[in-house]
Amino acid sequence: MKIHNLTKKYDGKPVVDTVSFTIPKGKVLSLIGPNGAGKSTVMGMLSRLIAKDSGLIEFEGQELTHWKSRELAKRLAILTQTNNVSMKLTVEELVAFGRFPYSGGRNTAEDQALIAQAIAYMELTDLKDRFIDELSGGQRQRAYIAMVIAQDTEYVLLDEPTNNLDIYHAARMMKIVRRLCDELGKTVILVLHEINFAAFYSDYVCAFVDGRIAKFGTVKEVMTKETLSDIYKVDFEVIEIAGKPLSIYY
Amino acid sequence: MKQQTVLTKAQRANQRRLVILTLLMLLAAAAYLTVDVNFQNEKLFAYAMRLRIPKLAVMLITALSIGGATIVFQSIIRNTIVTPCLLGMNSLYTLIHTAVVFVLGSGSIVASNPNAAFGVDIVLMGIASTVIYSWLFRKTKYNVLYVLLIGTVLTSFFGSIQSTLLRVMDPNEYDALLASLVASFSNVNSRIILFSLLLLALLLFWLRRELALLDVLTLGRDQAINLGVDYDRCVGRLLLGVTLCIAIATAMVGPISFMGLIIANLSRQLLKTYRHGQLIAGSALFGMFVLIGGQTLVEHVFAYTIPVSVFITVAGGIYFLYLLLRERRR
Amino acid sequence: MKKYGSTVLLALLLLVLSVGSLFVGVLDMDPGSLLTGDLNQLEIFFVSRLPRLLAILCTGAGMSTAGLIMQQLCMNKFVSPTTGATISSAQLGILIALLFLPDSTLWGRALFAFAFAIAGTWIFVWFIQQITFKDVVLVPLIGIMFGNVIGGITSFLAYKYEMTQALSTWLVGHFSLVLRGRYEIVYLVAPLVVLAFVFANHFNIVGMGKDFSKNLGVPYHLVLFMGLTIAAMITASVVVVVGSISYIGLIVPNLVAMFKGDKIRGTLIDNALFGALFVLICDVLGRIAIAPYELPIELIIGIFGSVLFIGLLFYRLRFGRKAVQLSALLGWDDKTKRGGDAV
Repeated sequence: MKIHNLTKKYDGKPVVDTVSFTIPKGKVLSLIGPNGAGKSTVMGMLSRLIAKDSGLIEFEGQELTHWKSRELAKRLAILTQTNNVSMKLTVEELVAFGRFPYSGGRNTAEDQALIAQAIAYMELTDLKDRFIDELSGGQRQRAYIAMVIAQDTEYVLLDEPTNNLDIYHAARMMKIVRRLCDELGKTVILVLHEINFAAFYSDYVCAFVDGRIAKFGTVKEVMTKETLSDIYKVDFEVIEIAGKPLSIYY
Repeated sequence: MKQQTVLTKAQRANQRRLVILTLLMLLAAAAYLTVDVNFQNEKLFAYAMRLRIPKLAVMLITALSIGGATIVFQSIIRNTIVTPCLLGMNSLYTLIHTAVVFVLGSGSIVASNPNAAFGVDIVLMGIASTVIYSWLFRKTKYNVLYVLLIGTVLTSFFGSIQSTLLRVMDPNEYDALLASLVASFSNVNSRIILFSLLLLALLLFWLRRELALLDVLTLGRDQAINLGVDYDRCVGRLLLGVTLCIAIATAMVGPISFMGLIIANLSRQLLKTYRHGQLIAGSALFGMFVLIGGQTLVEHVFAYTIPVSVFITVAGGIYFLYLLLRERRR
Repeated sequence: MKKYGSTVLLALLLLVLSVGSLFVGVLDMDPGSLLTGDLNQLEIFFVSRLPRLLAILCTGAGMSTAGLIMQQLCMNKFVSPTTGATISSAQLGILIALLFLPDSTLWGRALFAFAFAIAGTWIFVWFIQQITFKDVVLVPLIGIMFGNVIGGITSFLAYKYEMTQALSTWLVGHFSLVLRGRYEIVYLVAPLVVLAFVFANHFNIVGMGKDFSKNLGVPYHLVLFMGLTIAAMITASVVVVVGSISYIGLIVPNLVAMFKGDKIRGTLIDNALFGALFVLICDVLGRIAIAPYELPIELIIGIFGSVLFIGLLFYRLRFGRKAVQLSALLGWDDKTKRGGDAV
């Protein structure tokens, strides 16, 4: 997936300004940066939820906007921050929607098997008949991830998946992200606020400031004292723990 | 790949519930047709049937249009306390109808031929509501409370213009004009039954793909697009369908604002599912039962004194307040 | 001087239009013959034209004051006699009077209208105070629905006792039946508005909340219910004479607040003057639109009022609570403005 000169303006002000980068296949890439830096907008444009103003997004050799939406849904899945279902929907029924791009709503036995697999993978088997609106935040987040797994796409985009989760569930979420990449071979792109999660669980980091890329590279390249201080405008200290950079800010 | 329909226990229970509802509805229909009918006298019997069968058909079509439209609309907006009628769609239709007669004159074919009038109204309604409501939704960014408040204001806005037009046409004949231009339960417009049925069938055919996508639309815009749905086009077409259904119902029995709200929520409460096929069926059946049962009571117990729409307004208003409060408490 | 500029301007405008409106009507009338003492002309003047003008002024000033009081007390810009079930309750009261005391005089009906309007408004306010989290537009929405239910009960009773014809006079407000001997109740509005003016500061304090007013030694419940009672009585006296007139209590205070800020004491006079002006203009429009017939004022206000109200909503949606920007725009010095409403 190659991004070239991507731009988005709101009321004439550029929120994302001529951004270009290439997403490494089969790796975990985290987008970090202060609020309003344009991370989520980039994510929205990569997943066709937000229309871009100019620039190119080349996805598997073809411009993203030229893809048929249904075909794209078999290759790329996005999970946004706000997921509230007002309808009575059980976990299993929600996960079953992941097969929609393939089955168009009429699930075959094969689809059913994949759904059951996704539920088991996210350890939701006990909860599969519960209604979504009765679950805790962490459980609901897992149910949505299970749906994304059932969608069985090569690319998975997650917009702040750890938002509103406590430390236990957030850490668990990040381990799942790692497993999606390592065990299922998916390319995962995340927007993260918690920079140490980005440092510990991703392969590459892309840091945004004011709608532009401040730094793109491997975790070790980006997570340095100088770069982080530059991006967040506060003092940083970076130490190494278990071979990973751990940053402290004050 | 073998197609396999897997029915869960809950779904089978729902199917049973729908069957029971159908039976209840048929019972009400039978009661409506037969109560106080003289079976001995052939002429009287034929006369009663000539009056009652078209009215029954009108009620069935109305319930189907309103029940279906409300469920679809609620799923698009993703909120169960709204109904298209609360947004003033039926006053808009009444206004359009009055305006058409006003512009073309009461001697024109539009005034004398109900089918011609209905055709013209439907076209105008489609255009006007698409412009007004898509603008409204975009402008309020789908903020349901604002949409509702503006909708109730629009209701009185359209109503005021319509009354003004009527008075400008002929201030002395105001009441007579009102009665002839606006249908009501005591004055149902049964001459457009065939046209309406045809229109409903066409709508169903035209929207068959979008209707199948309703389940996915419930998940919200982002998820629907993620799953490969052309969201904006799909919602636009469904909204047009909703408007036309409301137009059909209003043309036949006049404005009944709260009915959709009651039957859609009863259906959702009874069936507790997201599957729109069942929800729409449930809502339509509830609507038929409420309308036919209510009308039977009105005609035979209250001897026509109180129109069924008054009952629906009071019960619906209280139900709406209850829903609002319940929604807040959560 | 600048501070009273708007008040003087409004008063002058109202005076000119009032005099002008006296000479608009089916029967021609000219100031000359009036002065020379044409008996016929004088009679029309005193039996029909003058009462009508006075009724219009009372209605406009009264309804906008009632709206302003309710908005202050509920701390919500969208509450008014229309969106607070006051008007529909008064109508129910009139119907009950017609049903159970068919021989009652206008005053008897007025008493019923007062009682019901007060009770309805109290119940509504009690109701919205039960909900802890109040969305700005949820409150008027509940009020409108509450009014719908009461209206439904009214039409149920009207149908049951075949009173729909009699009731229709009070459903659509109009001034065409305002004649000497049939409208004097509307004068009640004047002392009530004065009363509202005396207690304006109290209403302001109560609007800030229970704890706030306790802290300042203001009896919260007493002032709250007194304020609501004044608003309901103003509304009821208008409804008895003229019929239902919606939106004035909603639109006028909002428009005035856009220019003058929210402090009730400073805006009350402007608010009342502007309300009277608004109703007067709408009435003249209704009289000349399809002359020699006339359109009920309720329809004219229904059209302009709803357009203005939707405009207000969009303004609010766009600029949020910074509702007072126009005064700065027009260079009016106004230190007291607080900006929008607190909910």
